[in-house]
Amino acid sequence: MSDLDRQIEQLKNCEPLKESEVKALCLKAMEILVEESNVQRVDAPVTICGDIHGQFYDMKELFKVGGDCPKTNYLFLGDFVDRGYYSVETFLLLLALKVRYPDRITLIRGNHESRQITQVYGFYDECLRKYGSVNVWRYCTDIFDYLSLSALIENKIFSVHGGLSPAISTLDQIRTIDRKQEVPHDGAMCDLLWSDPEDIVDGWGLSPRGAGFLFGGSVVNSFNHSNSIDYICRAHQLVMEGYKWICGNVAAILELDENLNKQFRVFEAAPQESRGAPSKKPAPDYFL
Amino acid sequence: MEGEVDEKELKAAGAEKLPDGRRGVRIHGWEIDSSNRSILTSLQLQQWEQKLQTSHLPEMIFGDSSLILKHSDSGTKIHFNAFDALVGWKQEALPPVEVPAAAKWKFRSKPFQQVILDYDYTFTTPYSGSGTVEINSEHGRGAISGEGSCNLHWEDCEEQIDVVALASKEPILFYDEVILYEDELADNGVSILTVKVRVMPSCWFLLLRYWLRVDGVLMRLRDTRMHCVFGCSTKPVITRESCWREATFQALSSKGYPADSAAYNDPSAISQRLPIVLHNTQKLIVPNKIIKLSCVPYKQQRLTKRLLAILTRAAEGTVRQLATRPHVDSEVEVYLGLAKESRRGRTRGAERSGGLRRGMGGEERREEALAVEMNVLENEPRQAIS
Repeated sequence: MSDLDRQIEQLKNCEPLKESEVKALCLKAMEILVEESNVQRVDAPVTICGDIHGQFYDMKELFKVGGDCPKTNYLFLGDFVDRGYYSVETFLLLLALKVRYPDRITLIRGNHESRQITQVYGFYDECLRKYGSVNVWRYCTDIFDYLSLSALIENKIFSVHGGLSPAISTLDQIRTIDRKQEVPHDGAMCDLLWSDPEDIVDGWGLSPRGAGFLFGGSVVNSFNHSNSIDYICRAHQLVMEGYKWICGNVAAILELDENLNKQFRVFEAAPQESRGAPSKKPAPDYFL
Repeated sequence: MEGEVDEKELKAAGAEKLPDGRRGVRIHGWEIDSSNRSILTSLQLQQWEQKLQTSHLPEMIFGDSSLILKHSDSGTKIHFNAFDALVGWKQEALPPVEVPAAAKWKFRSKPFQQVILDYDYTFTTPYSGSGTVEINSEHGRGAISGEGSCNLHWEDCEEQIDVVALASKEPILFYDEVILYEDELADNGVSILTVKVRVMPSCWFLLLRYWLRVDGVLMRLRDTRMHCVFGCSTKPVITRESCWREATFQALSSKGYPADSAAYNDPSAISQRLPIVLHNTQKLIVPNKIIKLSCVPYKQQRLTKRLLAILTRAAEGTVRQLATRPHVDSEVEVYLGLAKESRRGRTRGAERSGGLRRGMGGEERREEALAVEMNVLENEPRQAIS
């Protein structure tokens, strides 16, 4: 068994790698990711997954439902880290699979794959807690800069974490972005990772926060038309049912067969007893 | 959690668990009941959007979750739910808070025909709980919900919640925390409304907390605490304290506190750093005797309903003298507490300019309540409403 296979087995048991192993893994991953396009080509059949957010045990559930990699071809739409307790193990397992089976798993960048966001929402603290230093966080965030920004399945389905940008009308415009940088606060790259669809606008909307675009139905239609694509598949937001159709808005796990027929697989969260995670239920306390 | 409560302690306190797998306890005439359910489905969400006349709601609404505290003798019911809290959000309608990146975005080239959305995405609410007191008998003839009850009447008071008593480590017979809604502000912070409760042998205590952190901009904490000490009276004694705090990251950093958002994950740990912008204490006024609509003949029911309508109108302005009615057959005390959330003294301008509400602002924000007590005496001559 190769080192990499052993590491994958170890990570599948939710055991993190040594710092030196992380460093080596990231270097190998960098060589693969740097070759990928900003609009990475993906072949069908493929299973598309939304935000994992460090929920290692739910990701294991996902592989149980969707099948193991490399048997199943996967596309993950970003937001691997933050919020959950196991961002380190989650991201490293996906990265190790990427290095082992580069053509069977595609990882694109979410807005949480950023130095700034991970310092607020948990990944930074988790690395510090698990390794006693922030080196692992540094290796991982350096790799984030190499992740592709979007994917194109059989030239027909455009996949991205957030959504569209008013600065972008063609896929070629995305291809020209210099992505090897921290996610900027504005501009096309920022929009791809941050924007959201919005029912109540037809064209473009600006979020009440004063930053962040919202795109309506006509924006999607014209983008699809100019790029001869059927629909857009994105993640980034939460719905109770796990997925939702609105002007091409899909989340969670979606299986596409070789003819691009869709099948949603909805699955339950991993049961509490199967995860070593602390229970979300707070213990009784003498709050005041 | 259920298993953790000592059966002996429950028994010693004269308490019992709720049956049928419900979470909660019965103690001293109170039935305290909590439920934690999943977030609303897309279909339910659409229905809420229609009912609340909005197209934007928190991404996680635990619409079927609640905390209910019912006191059978007095017909008092205090409860907490997401819907009423969101009604409060809609009414308060604060202007949106801009995130730090907004400054840069002002210089971005705008797409052709851009719609700027303008709603309070922080879901800030003045909600301090819901409550009713039943004025209907349980034998009521098909009483329609809402008709047989009226709002609770809270009155400002000097007494404070007895924090010392609450700090004593009495056994906790029941504890739960219920999230009513939560939103991640599209990764710009957190907005969460929760209520937690603990029931001890001598009292119950709860904390309803709205917590907002807009990363790099501001934090807002709106706490409502209620404390009920069990006594021998059939009337519950409840104190309610509201404390609102607010600070910008800029103000905190100028005081030497850290300015990074990661330092402000736990509101309990940092609440003291946030200046108080509103504080008041109130106690619940529980009616003496309750007129029971179903006990009086139909004609009087109509009269009583008319009285209710008159009182509601009177609550908006000055209380007028009210006429007594000749046909009420015994000495009854009619007590109707009509509370109306005051919309007076809104100081939005101050908030918009970055300033906080000055002083305690108790008068401005206090629930304006009106209680009318009336003695209806047998055969007393009819008087006109002046």
